[in-house]
Amino acid sequence: MGVKKIIKTVFMLEILKGMSLTFRALFRRPVTRQYPKHKREPFAGFRGLHALTRRPDGDAVCVGCGLCAAICPSQCIKIYTSEGADHKKVVDRYEIEVLRCLYCGLCVEACPFKAVVMTDIYEYSSFTRQELYMTKDKLLANWDRFSEKRKKTYFGSFWKPLFTDFSGSDKQAKLQDVSKAKKHEDIYLEAGK
Amino acid sequence: MPIQKGKLRKKELTINMGPQHPATHGVLRLELDIDGETVVKCTPHVGYLHRGTEKLGENRTYLSALPLTDRLDYISSMANNVGYCLAVERLFGIEAPERAKFIRTMASEMSRISSHLLWLGTHALDIGAMTVFLYAFKEREWILDLFEMLTGARLTVTYPRIGGVKADVSEEFLSSLYKFTDEFPKRIEEYETLIDQNRIWLQRTKNIGIISAEEAVNWGLTGPMLRGSGVDYDLRKYCPYDAYDQVEFDVPLGKCGDTYDRYRCRMEEMLQSNRIIRQCIEKLPQGPIMSPDAPKLTLPPKERVQKDMEAMIQHFVLITKGPITAPDGEMYSAIEAPKGELGFYFISDGTGRPYRMRLRSPSFVHASILPKLCEGSLVADVIANIGTIDIVLGECDR
Repeated sequence: MGVKKIIKTVFMLEILKGMSLTFRALFRRPVTRQYPKHKREPFAGFRGLHALTRRPDGDAVCVGCGLCAAICPSQCIKIYTSEGADHKKVVDRYEIEVLRCLYCGLCVEACPFKAVVMTDIYEYSSFTRQELYMTKDKLLANWDRFSEKRKKTYFGSFWKPLFTDFSGSDKQAKLQDVSKAKKHEDIYLEAGK
Repeated sequence: MPIQKGKLRKKELTINMGPQHPATHGVLRLELDIDGETVVKCTPHVGYLHRGTEKLGENRTYLSALPLTDRLDYISSMANNVGYCLAVERLFGIEAPERAKFIRTMASEMSRISSHLLWLGTHALDIGAMTVFLYAFKEREWILDLFEMLTGARLTVTYPRIGGVKADVSEEFLSSLYKFTDEFPKRIEEYETLIDQNRIWLQRTKNIGIISAEEAVNWGLTGPMLRGSGVDYDLRKYCPYDAYDQVEFDVPLGKCGDTYDRYRCRMEEMLQSNRIIRQCIEKLPQGPIMSPDAPKLTLPPKERVQKDMEAMIQHFVLITKGPITAPDGEMYSAIEAPKGELGFYFISDGTGRPYRMRLRSPSFVHASILPKLCEGSLVADVIANIGTIDIVLGECDR
């Protein structure tokens, strides 16, 4: 055994090195966040609690096509519709079982009218399951709560649009014209306030 | 009462390690027959986390089965998503555009770093080095925040789509990821200062759980488990997918295949992942993020759905029936997930759902080598062995 190795073994140099690192960490700024006091704002596009957007007249935008229920991997969305006056489809019940939801956001992508959205609300624990069974009224209330807090356009700045960039493709040239034509994303938020 | 000679029967003691043991990382149950401190026989029992992902996949369309793959290896869900999307793309014979390929490569390397950091932290914690756990989780938190910035979720990302990715990357995200790649090699040095030469760490890992190269191949090991034994096999290098053929990286190899070699291998892999991410950011090309030549497979943009009748019909058919242009036949496609080779095997009968979806998960294969590693070793080394094979039971039980 060489002298160097003996010194290393006796004085525990490698352990001292590690200890010096932990000692230096004493003077670094702490990285922990004291959660209930300090909350980090979720990033744009965060997939939190669901909500149903409102029409200008206050009712839900949802037309009851059932695409969100069709694509949902955990099949936790239930829609009950009936025929109303002048043969219009009326959404009687729109229910999301939040406890079974995967938060994949596919329902938001599937909805052709941006009626079902995901908000950045993430604190909604409860002692009962009943409270987390979201009915239509609760989902609309979620939207009010969210739009009140945000005070910003929803889809434009918060939720990331699904496919933004089709540039450089001849096949999609027509598509680009359509998407440029009009953006009616902010209407519903204005009405929701 | 004095013990009479010859009357005392010698018998192995059978104990259950798990399914609720803190060091088994989930719900792995090991039935150990021990003779004093030595393990005579070890029988792993898996299946406590069985959720029937394969069967569920058969009852979902190709589009809506994607979030199920998040829950396989839940600490590197991006790699699973990429593997699934790549398999479906190969089945349909389409290819993602260049930009999407680079974004996917970048994201799956991020998930490799986060997976290896979790492994490093918990493996060291199990063996007795607590400090490195806190250090590793600091950087893991950073990666998870970046994931949230990119995808909207920290763990279950559901970000890639068949034929591309869900949303484009923002400048803000790219610059903060670049900053991360600047910082990360220094952090790796910190972890190495803590444990690389530490005598306790060396005693607990050197010559523990040796797997020779031949054995590793015969047991079907992949990933760092195989490369730790010195076998040069990496799917990213030898059948490149996405943008791996356009970036430079090395495949780190071990020498004697013990726990320490696998530790070194994974540490080097993190540095290489860091290198890949850097190159991806620098080389990121402009262009579309969804394949434009697959209109029957991708959801049309919402603006178009509201204006164009054809797009509306396509939107409805795609969601309710799935991509109905699926060709008949079967195919297998694999990627290099952080744990090893993650394969997807599809049998398609031409409908929008797979007739059979089979997953080849590395954790399940790696769990099978546990008896070989543990038999004859000490009980304390069982923990080191569980840590070194780096299994996630969500993927193992599927």
